[in-house]
Amino acid sequence: MGEPLLSITARSLYISSIAALLAFTASMALSLYVSSKSRRAVEVAASFFEALVGIPTTAVGLMVYMLLYPKGPLGILGILYTPYAIIFGEFFVALPVAFTLMIRHVYNVRELVRELILSLGGLERQSKVFLIRELSPILLSSYLTAFSRAIGELGVALIVGGGIEGYTNVLTTAIAIQTSIGNYEYAIYLGLILISITIAIISSLRALGEYVLWR
Amino acid sequence: MEVILKDVWFSYDGLTYALRGINLGITEPGLYIIIGPNGAGKTTLLKIVSLMMRPTRGAVLINGRDFWGLGDEEKALIRRNIVFVHDRPILLRGSVKYNVELGLRIRGAKGGDVIHYYVSRYGLEGILNKPTHKLSAGQAKAVSIVRALALRPPILVLDEPFTYLDEVRQELLLEDIKVRVKENVTTIIATHYMYKELLDISSNIVELTYGEVIKFIRDFNEFPMRSS
Repeated sequence: MGEPLLSITARSLYISSIAALLAFTASMALSLYVSSKSRRAVEVAASFFEALVGIPTTAVGLMVYMLLYPKGPLGILGILYTPYAIIFGEFFVALPVAFTLMIRHVYNVRELVRELILSLGGLERQSKVFLIRELSPILLSSYLTAFSRAIGELGVALIVGGGIEGYTNVLTTAIAIQTSIGNYEYAIYLGLILISITIAIISSLRALGEYVLWR
Repeated sequence: MEVILKDVWFSYDGLTYALRGINLGITEPGLYIIIGPNGAGKTTLLKIVSLMMRPTRGAVLINGRDFWGLGDEEKALIRRNIVFVHDRPILLRGSVKYNVELGLRIRGAKGGDVIHYYVSRYGLEGILNKPTHKLSAGQAKAVSIVRALALRPPILVLDEPFTYLDEVRQELLLEDIKVRVKENVTTIIATHYMYKELLDISSNIVELTYGEVIKFIRDFNEFPMRSS
């Protein structure tokens, strides 16, 4: 029998929620910047990130491994095979998903909100506050999708985390490792937990969003 | 407040011009009507008059000063005198109440009585708590008009104001425009249709054609007419 289920689950939630939050924040900043340019810039950026969504997480894991390898460009950080390495890698897995979900919305809503606020005698800077408020449902959606992508990926967690028991073992790596050693019952429990967490968090936050944000 | 457009050109894409060399003065209070076919540049012109879009070329003079050369704070103060209502209403997420109070909230002002008056006048009391995404097009338009009227702006700019509204609300809006004329404040309207009652009270009617020609109308019978 491996590490307690609760411990693996807590670690998974912690790592994925931070990776998703970082990816979400970067996407937001990038979306605001690109949407202030032109529609063409938005389309180019959206197409580029849409292509990145399809890259296998193992390929992302390999690239992140190259970066964090002791002799690699970021080897000096010494974070390979730590939870930080997984957060770093999952950031790149979640970023394209979060960005492609929000960029077109940000672009379309931005000008409308700006025009409305100016037309009512508001200031340019006020329009940014209203923009965030207006976009909050899609921002929530974007975060949740980034989180799902992060918590459900295996490639990065296995390659740069190593699935070290009690340290970098997350739900997906634990499932892979337990299955490979024939511990199917334990792997099934882990799988059920992963599915339940994903469904529970996403449906409850979405319901909360429906209730709060659309009122 | 005096708004003068001096040789204004505007391009959305840098290749073609939606407005070409427009010279127009909003110098006296009253009702100004801009008429023209689809794609004539009416909305673009209104947005430039409303100080929301900067001309590609030319100047917008406010009381003789180039608006786009002013500092942000001064621009914001001037903008408070002009309120624009979009053809397709823009409402924010939230309730009708939140949206009708938005203009006053942005300005940090209070105006419960004025809002109550217009909400009641346009029959919106029953839907004040309704989320805006559940409104019909006509209700949404009425909300955007009430939101603007409640600000009592010195210059009110209405883009196709009668679109989506039912006949009762069209009639109410006509009356409100007449009241504004009597109160000696400025209202600017862009429309496909000319209402006879508006003609009677407007001394400033201009035709815009493909952003190129702007002429002061004398013969009203040339244009599609609608009686309220």
